[in-house]
Amino acid sequence: MHTIKRKVTLLAGSVIVILLTIWISLTFFNRQTQAQYNVILERYLVLNEVNQNSQLLMTDLNAYLNQPTEMTRSELIDDMDDLLQQEHNILKLEHQGNHYPLTNYINLVDSLIESMNRSLSLFDQDDPEAARLEFDDATRIQNYISETTLGLLNQELTTYEDFYRNMIGQSVKINRFGIWLLLLLVASVMLVTYLFQKSITRPIHQLTDAANALSRGEFDEAIYVDSKDELAFLGKTFNRMRININQLIEEIQTKAQLEKELQENKLLLQASQFRSLQSQINPHFLFNTLNTVSKKAYLEGSVETSDLLVNVADLLRYNLKQVDREVTLKDEIEVLRQYIAIQQARFGKRLHYVEIIDQSALDLPMPALTLQPIVENAVIHAIEKKREGGTVTLEIQNQADIIQVTIKDDGPGMTKETKQQLLDGSIVPKEGHSTGIGFNNVVKRLKLFYEADGIVTIDTVLSEGTAIHLTIPKIKG
Amino acid sequence: MRKNVTALFIIGFLVILFFTVRAFVDVVKGDWQAPTQVYVEDDDTRLVLITQQINTPFFDAVARGAIEQAEMEGASLEIVGDYSQNEEAFLNHLELAIHAKVDGIIVQGKDTDRFKELTKIKAAFYSIPVITIAEDVPMEESLRRTYVGSDQEEAGRMLANALVSQVDATGSVILLMDQSHPYIQTERLIGIDSVFNKYASLDVVMVESDTSREQIKEATQRLLNLYPDVEAILPLDAAFTEPMIDEITSRMRLSDVRIYSFDDAPDIYPLFNAGKIEALIQQTPEDMGRLSVELVFKWLNGETLPLDFDGYHTPISLIKRADTDAHD
Repeated sequence: MHTIKRKVTLLAGSVIVILLTIWISLTFFNRQTQAQYNVILERYLVLNEVNQNSQLLMTDLNAYLNQPTEMTRSELIDDMDDLLQQEHNILKLEHQGNHYPLTNYINLVDSLIESMNRSLSLFDQDDPEAARLEFDDATRIQNYISETTLGLLNQELTTYEDFYRNMIGQSVKINRFGIWLLLLLVASVMLVTYLFQKSITRPIHQLTDAANALSRGEFDEAIYVDSKDELAFLGKTFNRMRININQLIEEIQTKAQLEKELQENKLLLQASQFRSLQSQINPHFLFNTLNTVSKKAYLEGSVETSDLLVNVADLLRYNLKQVDREVTLKDEIEVLRQYIAIQQARFGKRLHYVEIIDQSALDLPMPALTLQPIVENAVIHAIEKKREGGTVTLEIQNQADIIQVTIKDDGPGMTKETKQQLLDGSIVPKEGHSTGIGFNNVVKRLKLFYEADGIVTIDTVLSEGTAIHLTIPKIKG
Repeated sequence: MRKNVTALFIIGFLVILFFTVRAFVDVVKGDWQAPTQVYVEDDDTRLVLITQQINTPFFDAVARGAIEQAEMEGASLEIVGDYSQNEEAFLNHLELAIHAKVDGIIVQGKDTDRFKELTKIKAAFYSIPVITIAEDVPMEESLRRTYVGSDQEEAGRMLANALVSQVDATGSVILLMDQSHPYIQTERLIGIDSVFNKYASLDVVMVESDTSREQIKEATQRLLNLYPDVEAILPLDAAFTEPMIDEITSRMRLSDVRIYSFDDAPDIYPLFNAGKIEALIQQTPEDMGRLSVELVFKWLNGETLPLDFDGYHTPISLIKRADTDAHD
């Protein structure tokens, strides 16, 4: 991973490298030029030195000839030795252009020294006249040395002219190179800095945008940071935070929904409890009232009315007992008969009730109020709506393993859809059931009671009638 | 936008990089070669050719021949001299060469005491062989090893013969001579006199002059005044010819007087080609140069010992006006 630290190091490093390159190259070239200058200067200096020394030697010799002391003599000898030493340096100056004058030069120096020695020895032999003559000779030779020095210097200039021009040109070139190098440095630093800041600011920009979006509450946009350094890590973390926040929000929303539903349910429950309390008061009061009215009717001789009231009261009492209790088929048939009696009092001859009962099946245990709601359904749909009335048939058959209970009517029947809806329990029972228990309730209770599916089946043909079959196994489960 | 800026940056950077690299290549490619330091073996033979008239056609030819021969022999030959006929500088060159202990000196002879002293004493002291070229100096006075050049006596004879064949036997002829009587002119005069002596009727007049241009012109004026009917003029020094002709043409028609000359001066051939000179002694300077170097080597190598004191004569020829190819 390219960390920011590494980027900064890289930036600093590249700047240092570029600066070093400039410094080294310029220093190198300048040194090269300097070395060349030194070589040339050295040449000039050597020539000049020889010339000066030869002049000095002449002065020495003159001094000695005029004042022959040990001191002047030793000085002369020393300077002579110096000149001989320098002769070797002259040899090094040789190149193809100056062989002849240089050889001349060296020989002239030799001649000078020889001439001086001759002069000295003549002087020592007490022949000052001859010594003077030799001295004149030496003076001339010295003049030639000076002349040749000039000539050599002149030739140096000529020979090295191209070289000097090259050197001047080279220094111009080096200057130009230096300027370009400086420009290059500026450009490189700018470029590197630009790339560097881009690689840092762009991800920061992206992060800023993402943070702005988050602050506006836009949690759905994924955060992406176009980088490979710590900022990418920051971006990823940021993104994870966004996802977490999103999840939390969703959770809170679900929770709130649940809470709302729970509240509603509570309200519903309270309402139903209230209603059930309402309906609990009524039946007891009604039951007592009915009994009182029944006795009063009986005392007043209206037996029929008294029986009807008893039937109603009994039905009410049966209903008031716990719905979940276990009763027998026989009990159910009794209640059914009382209900039919009540309905017959209402519908008169329009309600025709038929019982086909296998007496051996009467002990079958079953949940309370199973048959009455079904029959009531039949009465409501098949009798109430038909002006001419109809027949409701209850048939109980005791078969090998099962007891088949069938409640049949000759009403208008149902469509297949209605039948299915009825079995699925998706038809909400209308109010008006006398016992408050609908068909659906019966189906569920039977299923629970016998712990088996498919107990209730419906056979129906439109405008012919409906038959509800309860197929009850003799052994539970 | 951003991409554009980046592209701009990179393009600018690349352009600068290109120029920087070019400047760098320029610097590195710079021709840094100093003149090669060649150490020529010290024992090679160093010869020097000293003349008074460097850069004249005549001595250029001498130098050409000498350099050719020196290259063949494998010696280093240096040509030194002055442009003007500066005697002092010329002698200084000679003295310098002697003190510089060259192996051999080929020098245009100069009939002066100082020249003779230098060759006789100094050169002999360092035992440097001196050969005179083109112009000789008496051997007894200069101790030169030998002379290489034209036989001046013969040249004078040839020129005088050409003269007498062209002018009337009774006409007047003027000889123009350096008043210092240099050896070369004396030699030429001997040759000329040997011819003129046969023609006693010929009126031969000797006029002398200094070597300066003004003096020559003055001398010419004088002789024209004295001898208006002069038939022919013969300067013994070729260097006199040009100023003399210059002076004559300013006074009279040149066709009235015949001029005979030698060729060892810078302006001779243009004058001759222009038809202003009747007859000319043509020398062979290249042969002189070649032969002189050859002889120095022979002497240094001890092949020819001693050299012929009388000298080695190179071929000469006479050319006449409008007949430049003629050889006599």
